[in-house]
Amino acid sequence: MIEKEVTVTIENGLHARPAAQLVQQASQYQSKLELVIGQQKINAKSILHLMSVAISEGQTIKVMVDGEDEQEAWTFIASFLQPGNESTLR
Amino acid sequence: MKYVSLVLISHSYEIVSGLKKLLSQVQPDVPIAIAGGAEGGIGTNALDIQTAIESVYSEKGVVVLFDLGSALINAEMALEMLEPHENIKIADAPLVEGAYAAVVEAGLGSSLSEVVRASESAKELVKIHR
Repeated sequence: MIEKEVTVTIENGLHARPAAQLVQQASQYQSKLELVIGQQKINAKSILHLMSVAISEGQTIKVMVDGEDEQEAWTFIASFLQPGNESTLR
Repeated sequence: MKYVSLVLISHSYEIVSGLKKLLSQVQPDVPIAIAGGAEGGIGTNALDIQTAIESVYSEKGVVVLFDLGSALINAEMALEMLEPHENIKIADAPLVEGAYAAVVEAGLGSSLSEVVRASESAKELVKIHR
């Protein structure tokens, strides 16, 4: 189980197109992938969950990854939420 | 065909034309056809809907989304005009949110019933948490 805070640096936040890409790519991992935004905990593999939250650029959210490929899944989601910032993730 | 296709119906051509543009940016691989307006004005037309469905039909299935009540009548009429159609489903969903959820789900290679479920679940969506 990996649980870390991430400050989202996607330009303009997680709007329609990146949200769709996130679901598509997150679905390739076995691990449970959850995001905690304020009081809400959502499944990052569910487009409906992602549609129900607004994640803006500069916002800090909690990422929870749990499962056999959690390291790979964490690396993916962290670099997805912080494009161009891969070196600081580990 | 790898993906479930979508057909978008609106009383306004511009609504579905713009929505298709949005969805194609989100997921360019999913086939989308539109039927909007009637006789150059506002309305829907069963023949246009039938043509739209035929243009993206595949064994994988087609989800039809519409905007307002009376579009349903023409959508159902279009289905009656087509050959038997177990794999064409009309979704009970809000057009924009439902189509967005559907295109993402379809892009994952999901089945027809999964795509219908995703689009219909958009009805329950809470957009503002106060």
